Amino acid sequence: MSREHQKYRAPDALDHTRELLGKLAREVSVSDWHLVIEVRPDDLPEVALRLRDDETLSCKYISCIIGVDYVDWMEALYLLRSQEHAIPVRLRVRLDRERPEIPSVTYIWSGANWHEREAYDFFGIRFIGHPDLRRILTREDYDTHPMKKDAWPHRVRRTEWRWEDIERPKRLPGETDRRDRS
Amino acid sequence: MSTVESKNDAVNPGSPVNQDGPAKPSFHLEEMILNMGPQHPSTHGVLRLVLHLDGELVVSVEPVLGYLHRGFEKLAESRTYLQYMAMISRLDYLSGFFMEWGYVRSIEALMGVRAPKRAEYIRVIIGELNRIMSHHVAIGDFMLNLGAVTPFFWVFRDREDAMDLVEMVTGQRMMYNYLRVGGVRWDLPDEFEAGCRKFIKEFPAKIDEYEELISDNEIFISRTLGMGIIKPYEALDYGISGPNARASGIDWDLRREVGYSVYPEFDFDVPLGQHGDCFDRYKCRIEEMRQSVRIIEQALDSICGGPVNIKLPPMIRPPAGEAYRAVETPRGEFGVYIVSNGGLRPWRLKLRDPTFSAISMIPKLTAGNKIADLVAIVGSLDLLMGGVDR
Repeated sequence: MSREHQKYRAPDALDHTRELLGKLAREVSVSDWHLVIEVRPDDLPEVALRLRDDETLSCKYISCIIGVDYVDWMEALYLLRSQEHAIPVRLRVRLDRERPEIPSVTYIWSGANWHEREAYDFFGIRFIGHPDLRRILTREDYDTHPMKKDAWPHRVRRTEWRWEDIERPKRLPGETDRRDRS
Repeated sequence: MSTVESKNDAVNPGSPVNQDGPAKPSFHLEEMILNMGPQHPSTHGVLRLVLHLDGELVVSVEPVLGYLHRGFEKLAESRTYLQYMAMISRLDYLSGFFMEWGYVRSIEALMGVRAPKRAEYIRVIIGELNRIMSHHVAIGDFMLNLGAVTPFFWVFRDREDAMDLVEMVTGQRMMYNYLRVGGVRWDLPDEFEAGCRKFIKEFPAKIDEYEELISDNEIFISRTLGMGIIKPYEALDYGISGPNARASGIDWDLRREVGYSVYPEFDFDVPLGQHGDCFDRYKCRIEEMRQSVRIIEQALDSICGGPVNIKLPPMIRPPAGEAYRAVETPRGEFGVYIVSNGGLRPWRLKLRDPTFSAISMIPKLTAGNKIADLVAIVGSLDLLMGGVDR
C-alpha cells in the first residue's frame, strides 16, 4: 500500500457512519479509498444534513455531482470531502431512469447549485426544490439530454462511417486536397 | 406601464403629478442590464456576465456559460483511452499537463498499475514547470485587467523560458500529449537538466522583480486589498479549491494531503492567505511559484534512473469498475471520474474542474461592488473557460 492510501481514514469512519445514519443508509462500504454511502432519493437531504453537521465527518466541501446513465437505471453521485479529517465520501443515489427525480441539496451546499444544473442539463435529472433549474452548458432550446445513452438514436452507427462514404464537395479539375495524400 | 409614466413625470416638472410643489431633481432608479462578454478581454475566454447595474454599482450578476462547450465528456465515450489522451490537454489549455495527469491517474487506479519512479519524477518536474507557466498567465492577466500592461509583458517574457524547457521534453508548448498510462512518452533529453537548473537558479530573482513591480504598487494595493473577500466557510460551501481557497486560509493542498506521485518526498510549504481578498489570492500564486521552484530543485537532485514506461498492450482495457482521482492543478482540484465496463472505451467520464465552482461564486462576490472592482475580482479568481465549458 502506498502512502496515499494510508493517509485517508475512510475505514475508521465506517462504523461511525453506520451509527450516524442508521437505517437511512442502504449500504455503507469502503471502496477505492472512498467512503461509499448508498441512500434512497427521499432520504438524501436528511443524510446530507447529518453528514455536513456531524463533528467527525463534517463534509462541508462538495466536490461535484456526477450523473451516470447505466441504461437500466440512473445514478447521481455526490463527491464530498471532510476537509479536516481527510475523508472522501461518495453519496450514491440510485434513480428511476424513466422518472429521475431527486430532492435538491442546494440549501445544504451552495456549490451544489451549478452541479445540479449540469446534471439536469446532461441527464435530465430533476432536482426538486432547486431554485433555478435551467440548462447550463448546452443551449436553452436543446431538445435532448445529451449524455443519456439513447440521446442520439440517429447517430448510434456513427463509428461505422468510413472516409470514402462521406460525401465531399466537388473539386475543380486539377485541384488537390491535402487530405487525399494519406 | 404606470411605473414608466410616473418616472417620466418625475423628470418633467410641468406634468400634473408635480403641480403641488416645486419640481425636485430626481434620478432614474431604473436597473440597467449590461452584457459583459463573451468577447470581453477581461473575462478570460468566453465567459458572459449579464450585469444588472444601478449606475456604476453592480446589483446582481448572472454568469452565462457554454460558449466553449465541446462535449468533452460525451466524446470520451466514443474514443479509446489513448485516443482521448490527445484531447484532454485541450480542456484547460494553460495547465494541460495536469489534465493529462488526472486522467492518467484515474486509469492507473482502475487498472491497478503504477508508473516507474523515474516517470513520476519527470511528471513532477514538468508539472511544476507548467504550474509556474499557468501562474504567469494568471498574474499577467490579472494585472492587465487592472490596467497595468507592463507586468503582462514581463511574465510572458519569463514564461517563454519555462516553455522552452517543456518543449524540449514534450515537443509541444501547450498541448503536450506527453503522459501515457503507466509512465511518460519518452525520457528527458540530455540537455534538459542543465537548462532546468539554469532556469530555477535565475527564476527566483524574477519573482522578486514581479513583487517589486506589483506587490508594492500603491494603485494595485488600493484596488485589491479587502476586495472580493471569500470567507473560509464560503469557500468550502461553494467547493472552491486551490489558491483561491488557500488565500482564505483553508489549509488544503492535494499534493500534501493525498501525497500522490512522489510529492511526499519533497519538502515544500503550502502558502496561505489570511483575508481571502484579491490581494491574498495574487500573493498566494506568487508564493506558489517559489514553492514550485523548490520542488523542481529537489526533484532534479533526487531523480533516479530506470525505465520511464511500463509495458502495456496498445489497446488498454481497464477492468470494469469506477475510479476517481484528483490532482492539484494551478486552479485547484481537478478530478477525473471514470466508469469502465471492461471495454475499450469508458462508459462514463466526468471531469471535475475547479474553475466551474469558482465561477459559481462570482454573483455572491461581486454584488454591491462597482464594475471596475468586478473586473478585479474576476481577474483574481484566475478563470479559464476551457475547463468550465468542457
